[in-house]
Amino acid sequence: MATITCRELLAHLEPWMEGERPLDLQAHLRTCAHCSSVVNDLESIHTEASSWSAAEQDAPERVWTSLRAQLEQEGLIRDAIPAHEDAAKAQAPRAGWFSSLFPRLPRPVLAGAYLAALVAVAFALSGPVNKRVNEARWLKGTQISTSPLSAQLDFDEQNSNSYVTRANPAVTASLHQNLALVDKYIALCEKSVNEEPQNEVARDYLYEAYQQKADLLTQMTERGENVQ
Amino acid sequence: MSSSHFVPAQWLPKTSWITAGLLVPSLLLCSAVAAGPRRQEQHFKVAAHPVITVHNPNGLITVKAWTKSEVLVISTPASDRIEVDAEQMGNRVDVSTRELSDSVAPDDMRADFQINVPEDAELQIHNDAGNVSVANVLGDMNVETVAAGVDLEDAAGYLTVKTVGGSFTCVRCSGRVEASSISGNFRLLDLRSYHVWAQTSSGNILFNGEFLPNGTYSLKNYSGVIEVRFSPGDSFDLSATSLKGKVNNEAKLTPSAHQHHFMPKWGNALFGTFNEGRAKIEMTSFDGTINILKRD
Repeated sequence: MATITCRELLAHLEPWMEGERPLDLQAHLRTCAHCSSVVNDLESIHTEASSWSAAEQDAPERVWTSLRAQLEQEGLIRDAIPAHEDAAKAQAPRAGWFSSLFPRLPRPVLAGAYLAALVAVAFALSGPVNKRVNEARWLKGTQISTSPLSAQLDFDEQNSNSYVTRANPAVTASLHQNLALVDKYIALCEKSVNEEPQNEVARDYLYEAYQQKADLLTQMTERGENVQ
Repeated sequence: MSSSHFVPAQWLPKTSWITAGLLVPSLLLCSAVAAGPRRQEQHFKVAAHPVITVHNPNGLITVKAWTKSEVLVISTPASDRIEVDAEQMGNRVDVSTRELSDSVAPDDMRADFQINVPEDAELQIHNDAGNVSVANVLGDMNVETVAAGVDLEDAAGYLTVKTVGGSFTCVRCSGRVEASSISGNFRLLDLRSYHVWAQTSSGNILFNGEFLPNGTYSLKNYSGVIEVRFSPGDSFDLSATSLKGKVNNEAKLTPSAHQHHFMPKWGNALFGTFNEGRAKIEMTSFDGTINILKRD
């Protein structure tokens, strides 16, 4: 059987996660350790995210904990938070909860974790299966799940701003202008979603705007790494 | 043994003054040239399908294909506080700009490049600011910028372009085109591509190319204008949705033969088939305008 390339597999990840299992993709995954690892990671995130219940206000934290466990396993972070830091974390403002879960994470990896979190949120909330099962629960879950994400991105935006001050002024200006633009779109999309919670188009735009914001923060943070 | 003599000025003959008058400006000019940009030219012999990567913070990058099995890199750094490294690893040539000290001013972190590559070369270019221009390269290409514009001409292969605010122009491209930006404008002109995916948030998208049979064309933005031009002989199945904006259409569409679209409950939408519906066009905007216009 003709197999496919890694790039082609990545292009078909979304249908795969929705349950499509073409034979050529399966054949590629049997022979490619890298792609197999990527798909396994995504499936475990998907499984974890799908298990969220709208009734559990603290459910998303389990996902971050799961992500942390995976990153520890992969050697990207080392050990658990010491007890004294844990106590301090408990008193920290809510906006910093994501960062406090990843205290030793290198910044680009942390930014990558935002994207992983977004993937988890997107899979859990935009999946047609979830929606059909219980639309009301899906809508409620969406609102609960996006609130901490939005707050976290705002918090990390403040942190990222301090990292790009020594970069090229044109680049810095472009990043800031575009971040402001994305923030504006997020606000408009959130307004639309609040007015029409079933509006799938507005939801899609909202999640794409979140992805763009996470991507921009990643770029700002990486440039901070380069100039330090 | 050398010795120096001090000669009072009034003792110098007139011809010596003339000589000195010519010599001093020449020396000053030479020293100015020596302290200015150091143009560097490097050649690398390569085999078929070489990979060329360029990492540059700011500058003009011009890449052109030629018939030689060789990569030529001509670099011009803006100051002597940065250095251009170009090295070959097998069939791969890596070019990067690096700072020589910790305190390089942003204006000094700039280098311009003229690069010639075999036409089957694969390119990976990162350039935050300035401009990237590529012509006649047929291999796969990945270009990422922040503020820099990207201009591709007569390119083929799998083309992926990602900018934050930089514009993107693709002229006579025939490969698979995937472009994303936040505020960059896209101009896709005279394309002959089977797959086009273009997404920008606030930018405009202009598509003026062929809709090939079985081709898929997905154009999406948040605001701004999406415009496609069609000819009477084109054949496509079209879907255009603007949640809060307008859809203007000059094509006489018939109900889609393979109507598998969900009719939207929100916004302004248009679905239909033009001629046999061989290509598939999807245009989506949040509050932008979508124009489907006849080609002049």
